[in-house]
Amino acid sequence: MLSKLATIQLEQRLSKLIEQCSAVDAAVVATLDGYTCAMKQRSQQYPLERLATMGSTLMSLGDTITAELRLGTCDNIISENKNGIVAFMHIDDNLVLITLATQKNALGMLLSHSRRCAEEMKKVVV
Amino acid sequence: MDKIIFTGPMGAGKTTAISSISDIPPISTEVRCSDDAQLRKETTTVAMDYGYFSLDDGSRVHLYGTPGQERFDYMWTILTKGGIGLVLLLDNARPDPLADLTFYLDAFKDFIQQTGAVIGVTRMDVSNQTSLDDYRNTLFARDQIFPVFEVDARQPNDVKILIHALLAILQ
Ligand SMILES: Nc1nc2c(ncn2[C@@H]2O[C@H](COP(=O)(O)OP(=O)(O)O)[C@@H](O)[C@H]2O)c(=O)[nH]1
Ligand SMILES: [Mg+2]
Repeated sequence: MLSKLATIQLEQRLSKLIEQCSAVDAAVVATLDGYTCAMKQRSQQYPLERLATMGSTLMSLGDTITAELRLGTCDNIISENKNGIVAFMHIDDNLVLITLATQKNALGMLLSHSRRCAEEMKKVVV
Repeated sequence: MDKIIFTGPMGAGKTTAISSISDIPPISTEVRCSDDAQLRKETTTVAMDYGYFSLDDGSRVHLYGTPGQERFDYMWTILTKGGIGLVLLLDNARPDPLADLTFYLDAFKDFIQQTGAVIGVTRMDVSNQTSLDDYRNTLFARDQIFPVFEVDARQPNDVKILIHALLAILQ
């Protein structure tokens, strides 16, 4: 399990993500076995703990698929939908970052900010 | 397509049972446990297990294993779609296996009602606190009659007996 300090740092980084990228409506860090480590959202409207667990399922299915196809580990999974985008990506072998945007045409912004966030988080949790 | 679902608590042997009898190396989604459960088991299933096995007449039975923990209950809904029956594996060495029996029978109530179920009790070599009759009595009190077997999920023959019993009651 993560230390208290690491958890606080993850929460701060999520706050920064939401501040810096107007497209991000919600973001959550989960363990690959489905527990929530940190979460932030603009307004309290999404069940983020549920999203965290589902994110762990999806990420590990992604890893399973890419391993079967010998494509290496799965970097990210993008779910593009009528009313928004959800992106799932590894922070490290054990943690997943899940971000959500409802703005139109936000995929590029969402992915680049989320990727940078995940990379910085990786340094926090080592 | 004949699709059978394996469910039951974490550590009961779902992943092991499917890999025991699958004709192909099973697809599994095991990840490291991050909580106290790690004391019992290193890894846990977070999406599903999948394998298949061929009956004597050549037809294939597809085997899907669910994650055990309730927080993954959305996968239970997804995986039972189109299934023809349920194999409920229970770990006899857990603190209250009869409560586990009741929990999973309730959680999969609709699916069991539409299809059928068999119960496999594993790890009876580790603990024999609860007997097969205790399971049968619990089922009887619920007005549910399903075959109950002692199985070792590592033994292909034990798992095959469960599958054949399930197919028999579904006919
Ligand atoms: N001693 C004993 N071990 C068993 C028996 N059946 C299964 N196991 C072990 O129990 C564990 C079950 O783990 P797993 O298959 O991952 O359980 P799952 O969480 O239900 O998928 C494995 O280590 C098996 O080798 C049994 O009858 N006796
Ligand atoms: Mg398993």
